Amino acid sequence: MTAEQDTRTVEETLLGFLEVKTKAKVGLDQDLFASGLVTSMFAMQLVVHLESEYGVAIVGSDLKLDNFRTVTTMAALVRRLRDESAVTEGV
Amino acid sequence: MSDAIADAMAAVSARVLDRAADWDLAGEIPPSLLRELGDMGLLCAEVPAAFGGLGMTSAVSGELTAHAGSLCSSLRSVMTSQGMAAWTILRLGGLAQRRELLPRLTGGELAAVGFSERDAGSDVATMSTLIRRDGDDVVVDGAKVWMTAAGYADLLVVFGRFGDDAAAVVVPANAPGVRIERVRDPLGCRAAGHANVLLDSVRLPAGHLLGGGGQSLQLLVTTALSYGRMSVAWGCVGILRACLAAASAHAKTRQQFGKTLGEHQLVARHLADLLIAEQSATRACEHASKCWDDGSSDVVMATVLAKHLSATSAAAGASTAVQVLASAGAQDGHVVARAYRDAKLMEIIEGSNEICQLVLAQHALTLA
Repeated sequence: MTAEQDTRTVEETLLGFLEVKTKAKVGLDQDLFASGLVTSMFAMQLVVHLESEYGVAIVGSDLKLDNFRTVTTMAALVRRLRDESAVTEGV
Repeated sequence: MSDAIADAMAAVSARVLDRAADWDLAGEIPPSLLRELGDMGLLCAEVPAAFGGLGMTSAVSGELTAHAGSLCSSLRSVMTSQGMAAWTILRLGGLAQRRELLPRLTGGELAAVGFSERDAGSDVATMSTLIRRDGDDVVVDGAKVWMTAAGYADLLVVFGRFGDDAAAVVVPANAPGVRIERVRDPLGCRAAGHANVLLDSVRLPAGHLLGGGGQSLQLLVTTALSYGRMSVAWGCVGILRACLAAASAHAKTRQQFGKTLGEHQLVARHLADLLIAEQSATRACEHASKCWDDGSSDVVMATVLAKHLSATSAAAGASTAVQVLASAGAQDGHVVARAYRDAKLMEIIEGSNEICQLVLAQHALTLA
């Protein structure tokens, strides 16, 4: 699987997760906070979800709301954290 | 029960003994005792072994927290603060900060966490403490109120504004510009070291800024509070266990009108209520801790629900226990008298009843 396909899969899974959790259809680049769908409590749920689903740790300066604003930004965050951990683990 | 948790509980019991009443009356736990428990890793038992901690799961640490809460809610409050400080450092700190700070929190140093200000309680957006970069330094200005355990702490984890975003900074309690004033005669958890903390141009190396700062204030506070809520919830289970034990023992032996109190139906109902409260709060906490340990996103709501159920049940249960013990328990220092005052504060701290209800109602609406 290419990195691009991988990101696509993360996006699709996230759209499904959001649909289940918010009972609303969400677009890839829809601002989840501006649309009132997501509160800071829900952002915390997203943090835990992304961590357990993709085996990444979202800590330190990555705990910015901007990282969770859209499905695209979340998928990009997951991609970057996976790339970084691949580098540190020398994979 | 595994040896690790049994040993941990025994270590706490061996130090508290029957001294909780005296600590309540004096408004002070001997600091050396807190440092000793801290040095055993027992005040923040979930810190991973890689950082010098006991690496307990939330479920096991929860049972330890409940045990401490059944003996002394002031000690349990100190554990909540230490655990919340460690969790904040683990989540927000860079690797170097985790490596430096966490072993100190499992090595005998004590920590407190500061959110609330005079004009910023539940509404954290109005927080006015300022953290700013100045060259290689960071400067902190502000005033925090009711910081649990700050009266004992070596390290203060302080939340504040950081430009347009937010940050958490680790402030040594002895840094120039820090003034710590104990809250006099708090209603409950009287020996938990509650203090108001003034930060007047406190200048520190920028390395004290967790994760470099610049995070979302809401997310920072929600992150830190998630640990605090879980800890308070388990602590309230402990309060209920202590109340159930005291009320049952009294009702079993105290005779009135030729029979034990427990044989009087109106008193017996109180015991049933206490048992139901203790069991239901325990189940809610076990579920929330399981979500935490499984990495389930349901943890956020499960924790708020557990905190709310446990705190309200503890406040009601403590009142019931005082009713059953009557004059035998109506004196400061007595386990049910402490529970009565301590549990009330648990309905306020780490998300008041009303804030928890708003969060849960919002969740219900989202699911509709």
